Amino acid sequence: MKLRMSPQTVLVLDAFLEEAEDWKYGYDLSKNTGLKSGTLYPILMRMAERGLLETQWESGEPGRPPRHMYRFTPDGLRFARTNASANAGSGLGQVAMGLNVLGLVEA
Amino acid sequence: MGMPRKLAAKLLRAAIRLAPPQSREWAAAMLRELDFIEGDWAALFWALGSFGAIFRHAATEWRAYFTNQENKEDQMNETGKKAIGFMSGLLGAFVVVLCALGVQLLAEYLFPTLKVAYRTMTHVTTVMVIPEAIFIAVAVKLWPKRGAVAAGVLFFAVAAGLHVFIYFARR
Repeated sequence: MKLRMSPQTVLVLDAFLEEAEDWKYGYDLSKNTGLKSGTLYPILMRMAERGLLETQWESGEPGRPPRHMYRFTPDGLRFARTNASANAGSGLGQVAMGLNVLGLVEA
Repeated sequence: MGMPRKLAAKLLRAAIRLAPPQSREWAAAMLRELDFIEGDWAALFWALGSFGAIFRHAATEWRAYFTNQENKEDQMNETGKKAIGFMSGLLGAFVVVLCALGVQLLAEYLFPTLKVAYRTMTHVTTVMVIPEAIFIAVAVKLWPKRGAVAAGVLFFAVAAGLHVFIYFARR
């Protein structure tokens, strides 16, 4: 297996799958998934190390510090789509959805 | 900027300074996000979580580094041990041949009438055939547990055998 599929990882993959071509920011991902930074970033790091995620510094406006952005690599997109469909009806997908609905992973 | 936010920024700047190079970019990314977090306490909690994540990531990097170093040392120790084993096998075989030669010289000194030095086959048997048989027996016995020593003994046996073969071939 390329990445350990915890309910939190499934949430992150789902968040990336929404408008998968767009770059995403760490804090926005945290808000969308309800994961705290201490949970979200290790998942992002693992995904980047496994080549599932590409990272880039935003070329921001002058005077504003750049932001780190993330989006799927082609491999990552394939992996997410395969696992999202596999997990959709499984216990793992239900757990991830439940965590979100109950607000247990709310920041 | 409130005190919790200042503390959050200081914590993440410290993480950037202390983290290994592979984790530094992530720490910088977490620091940049602070500017977009509403609420000072939320920023502090963000920084605390991020600091923990960086610490765990750095710990993984350090563990991988030290494990790699230990493996390298083990490999070096293993190579050193093999070299010492090979050399001791070589030296041991050489000492056996020297002893055989000593026995022949002693026989010549004690029994000069036998004229051992002038008998080629006696010389070859004493200094070559008997030691070669010993070397093969020792190498077979040592091979399973002390392969390097056995290899040293065999190397010497082959070299000595070639020496004798070339000697007779040239005659």
